[in-house]
Amino acid sequence: MRSERFSPRAALGRAAPHLAFAVVFFGAWELYGRSDDAQLPAVSAVATAMADMTADGSLPSALGSSMQLLVIGFLSAAVAGFVGGVLLGRYRPLDRTLMPFLSALYAVPTVALVPLVLVWLGFGLSGRVTVVFLSCYFPIMMNVYAGVRDTPPELIEVSRSFLVRSEFGLLRTVVIPAAVPFIMSGLRLGIGLGVVGMAVAEVYLRLGGIGALIAAYGATFRLDYLFAAIIPLPLLGLLLTKLFTLIERRADAWRAG
Amino acid sequence: MQTIALTDQKTDRPPPRKPPGRVRRLWARMCTPEFYSPACFLLVFFIAWEIAGRRIDPLLFAPPSRVAEAFVDLAASGELVTATLTTLNALLAGFGLAVLIGLPFGVLLGQGSVFGRVLEPYINAVYATPRVVIVPLVIIWFGVDYSGRVFLVWLGSVIPVIINTAYGVRNARPDLLEVARSFQTPRHQLIRHVLLPGALPYIAAGLRIAAGRAVIGVLVAEIFLQNTGLGGVIQTNAAFFRTAPMLAAVMLVGLIGTLFISSVNVLEKRVAGWKTAGRAE
Repeated sequence: MRSERFSPRAALGRAAPHLAFAVVFFGAWELYGRSDDAQLPAVSAVATAMADMTADGSLPSALGSSMQLLVIGFLSAAVAGFVGGVLLGRYRPLDRTLMPFLSALYAVPTVALVPLVLVWLGFGLSGRVTVVFLSCYFPIMMNVYAGVRDTPPELIEVSRSFLVRSEFGLLRTVVIPAAVPFIMSGLRLGIGLGVVGMAVAEVYLRLGGIGALIAAYGATFRLDYLFAAIIPLPLLGLLLTKLFTLIERRADAWRAG
Repeated sequence: MQTIALTDQKTDRPPPRKPPGRVRRLWARMCTPEFYSPACFLLVFFIAWEIAGRRIDPLLFAPPSRVAEAFVDLAASGELVTATLTTLNALLAGFGLAVLIGLPFGVLLGQGSVFGRVLEPYINAVYATPRVVIVPLVIIWFGVDYSGRVFLVWLGSVIPVIINTAYGVRNARPDLLEVARSFQTPRHQLIRHVLLPGALPYIAAGLRIAAGRAVIGVLVAEIFLQNTGLGGVIQTNAAFFRTAPMLAAVMLVGLIGTLFISSVNVLEKRVAGWKTAGRAE
């Protein structure tokens, strides 16, 4: 796709419609935002608010505490989802026994569980981390499960004939490498949903992090600050998803070559 | 000779057994591990839950017997029916609007115009924004009423419909497009007979994602925007630490979500059945 040489002119040609649209879009937004009965803050006001919140440190520190939540919840979900997916994918009796219930639980939206989880685990870090954990766990586990369960049987047969006897050896040399694309796409889905879970937990509790900023500015209808607090979330989600797509491609490169 | 050998083989076979009765078929089905292992687990799980639930502080936990009791109470008072209808109303209205607006918009974006490429990053940005955080904006734009809830449902489900329709239209079979072009097919016929049918499997997948997100959207709206419907039942009971009715509502929500998504699945199989039969790839 990108075999042709990079030329600045062609790149400019490709970027031109994007640039033109961005200018029109943000220009219209700015003009509308400056009118009197506007229900949107002007772009410049959002930028000022963002600069202000960065300067007084409230945005970076909120982002930091949100990230802490996300990292702990995501990592524990990744580990637990990996172990659960491998166990369910490899052991048929376990799969038969638990899968119907896990699929049913998967179908319950995490938002519905949030009040429950927070009543059970309290409003401290553990309750919030559990909400993030629940948001990421199922996509990761289900993908690992699908990848492990559908290992091509001929691969397993070949490795058996090459004297890979132990289950652990089989997992390490054949099953898990064959499931890498599934595992990676599970992690990619998981991190995206983790950002959502983080926002849900924080907005519900109004304690600390980006969610608390959003709840506070939302309650006082300070739209410019509200926008400035919202914008980092989709950026974070897109950035992390992009990062995992890159890792996914890296991890899967051996397949093509 | 061959035919004789074949008929010989046929006569050698034992006469066909009588078809098993309904009871026996049911019994045979229940004897497979696919049935009895989850059933046993369910039994053990409920017993353990009941025992644990009776010991733990009732403020925090409820045994299944009390959840069932709460369910019956809620249903008898009519609260559950009203809440379910409220939830379904916003869910179906938002989802229906998402399909009505998402399909034409997706077709428009998918037809290879610059427009589609230019809008894509903005659509992705909206898609990546958690809906909880735009609740304050929805309050300002629509108020906390019905229209606000429908908007939250709509916003969550319209984007997968747009993205998948556009993708399906973009990947229309080039041979069909060429034939259509050589017959100088008018644009509306091209959309009606070539682009939309070809995109059906993608659209159906988009509708399934949209259905899941619509269920989440209606709950977000009912928990964070206006305290009503089943989400409201969950939220109100959680605030007063009444675990049993909360769990009953959570289970009903899970059931409704599953039914809603699987009805979209059934629709997908119906509509896309012919497609998988004669697929070129």
